[in-house]
Amino acid sequence: MAEASVKESTKTEDWVKLNRKPVADPGFDETVKNLTTEKIEKAVNAVLNIGKNGARFMAPLETCIHCALCSNACHWYLSHDKDPTYAPVAKVKMTLWELIKRKGKVSPEFMKQVARIVFCECNLCRRCSMYCPFGLDIAFQLGMVRRMCFILGLVPQNILDQTHSLSATLTQLWITQGDWIDTMQWQEEEVRGEIKNVRIPIDKEGAEVMWCPLGTEPKVATYHIARTAKIMNVAGIDWTVAAQDGWDSANMGMFIRDMETMQRVVRGIYDNAMRLKIKRIVLTE
Amino acid sequence: MSESASWNWDTGEKLVANINDWKKKFIDLRELTPSDDGEKIAAVVQPEKGKFTTCLTGDVWEEKFERVYSLKFKPDNQLISLTYRDYVYALAVDHEMWEETFDFIWNLTLTQDGKGIAVNIKRDPQLGAALNGQVWENLYIDARHLAVSPDGTKTASCIQIQPMKTLDIFTYQKGIWTVAVDGTPWEKKFWSIWGPVFSPDSNHVAACVRTGFAQYNIAVDGNTWEGPFGLVWEPIFKPNTNDVVAPIRTPKGTTLAMNGKPIWGYFFNAWRQIFSPDGQKLAAVVVPSFSRWTIAVDGTPWSTTFSDAVLSPVFSLNSKRVAAVVKDSKRWAVAVDGNPWTEKFDNVWDPIFSPDSNTVVAKAERNGKFYIVVDGKVSKKGYESLWNPVFSPDGKNLLLRCVDNGKYYRKVIPINEL
Ligand code: SF4
Ligand code: SF4
Repeated sequence: MAEASVKESTKTEDWVKLNRKPVADPGFDETVKNLTTEKIEKAVNAVLNIGKNGARFMAPLETCIHCALCSNACHWYLSHDKDPTYAPVAKVKMTLWELIKRKGKVSPEFMKQVARIVFCECNLCRRCSMYCPFGLDIAFQLGMVRRMCFILGLVPQNILDQTHSLSATLTQLWITQGDWIDTMQWQEEEVRGEIKNVRIPIDKEGAEVMWCPLGTEPKVATYHIARTAKIMNVAGIDWTVAAQDGWDSANMGMFIRDMETMQRVVRGIYDNAMRLKIKRIVLTE
Repeated sequence: MSESASWNWDTGEKLVANINDWKKKFIDLRELTPSDDGEKIAAVVQPEKGKFTTCLTGDVWEEKFERVYSLKFKPDNQLISLTYRDYVYALAVDHEMWEETFDFIWNLTLTQDGKGIAVNIKRDPQLGAALNGQVWENLYIDARHLAVSPDGTKTASCIQIQPMKTLDIFTYQKGIWTVAVDGTPWEKKFWSIWGPVFSPDSNHVAACVRTGFAQYNIAVDGNTWEGPFGLVWEPIFKPNTNDVVAPIRTPKGTTLAMNGKPIWGYFFNAWRQIFSPDGQKLAAVVVPSFSRWTIAVDGTPWSTTFSDAVLSPVFSLNSKRVAAVVKDSKRWAVAVDGNPWTEKFDNVWDPIFSPDSNTVVAKAERNGKFYIVVDGKVSKKGYESLWNPVFSPDGKNLLLRCVDNGKYYRKVIPINEL
């Protein structure tokens, strides 16, 4: 199977086109139509220029001895019958090494394959680093490639939409400020039917704990809020939720390497914590 | 602060309300809110099952609601609350309800003098804002963040101006967010927008905008600076001018820029900038070396740095001194002109300078009790609850608003007797 997969690969231009089941995703398929080699070159070099100064980025490139010990760490490799094209170091070779070798001068089609590899064939779980005798951080490198793709907008639609939402609203699912507060209020009313005088304190200064749910909870899983309220009340915890943006702890920006949105999400939570003088931040998950 | 001159500054203490009685009287007593002058104290209470109202210094408002929230005193001691009853939301000032009702209201925002009262509003399915009972003519798909002009005549909010289908990543990338001032949107649209702020003359608005993937800028009345930048943080206006100052991230690091031009050196990060009262000095929180926080004044960082956090700088009234809340190795303190207090706490509130700028006080928490700290020295007495102290106009006394043994007191204490 492993051999077959390599054989099935066809050379296009000067690179190996992987023979995989297509993933239909407008984040790849539509975005790629507007890319040019020039745009890609700019994005790749913007990231490489920062990366080349960092040991964490360069060390794996300079130190890796291609021993493949990391392969057995990777669930993608294992679950694809040890197909070597899913091996951690192969994924670096097919993406970052090629981009460095070609100084970012690659075709949009090549970049689309790169995006597929780094977003759809690696979870940045870092398990491979544990197996590597040098502890080389492959996930960090593939993450840097995700950053290149992000700058080009070449990102799976769903997670990009959620990051757009976080950028615009600091919530994962386009939740209005009013709907968030209203949801906390009616959840309190719901739970009051079961537990006398239960409270979901909103913006309570000096509370011990500020709870930051994921946007999915007020949007589609309000029963999580009710359960959290019950636990907090029965356990006698002095808690609150923040009324201002910066309550949603979903941080999709981290996964697609939208560092700026990632930082804004984290800062939003800390700003609320410092504004409300709470002592501990409790996140869902 | 000028209104504090008319307050009672005779030293002594006054028992304003016995909160223990309130606790017995109501099913549920929510967070206490004292007036600025300390003469009144209010809370949202539940006198009967599922019915809420306000209790103001012991007097319970007869009107009952399903929800009462965002309790706030105006400087003239009128009490504002947001209420919900019979499927409509309304704003109440003392016992007067706004005529206009809504499908939700939030972000209660007041001007410093309390004359401008604004809220974000929902009229299903659209959102906007209302000022002193007057609702924007145009409403939008979303409206977030609310700024009221210093003169209390205008409101600004960040709005989503065009609809977007679920998961439509490309419509978002065309720019569907902007700022609306009194409901009128800026011409230019952006990917994202936040942190709107009015100019001192109330005629201009600045905000942070996102213009592309990893591209950010500052927009003033919709026009961006020459950019873009790697990231920006919230802008402010220079007192008595239309100059805008904001942190911008560049390949060299983060600096402060005025009207788009860098005015400081570069740091790992910089934010929470503030001008001195005379408008001549500028201070900000900066990160001069990796993971070390401090304050910089006019671009020069304090030599002392802190490991965990530094909060917004506070200028003395004479514009010569700067203090800030600092956190080092998980303990909070105040640092004044770079010198941290030796006493550390579980929590510290923003420092307050005396009118002559010589003394710094702050509220601080230690082992569950709240203290006043004067120039680093902790008051003898700790309280169950304590709100930020206020200096008397002559700077000799402090007004304490505090709860002791379940009773709320208004105390005026000479500063040297604390
Ligand atoms: S980080 Fe990626 S390559 Fe490494 S083990 Fe995890 S999924 Fe595989
Ligand atoms: S285990 Fe380490 S050295 Fe060996 S191939 Fe993998 S990354 Fe390279």
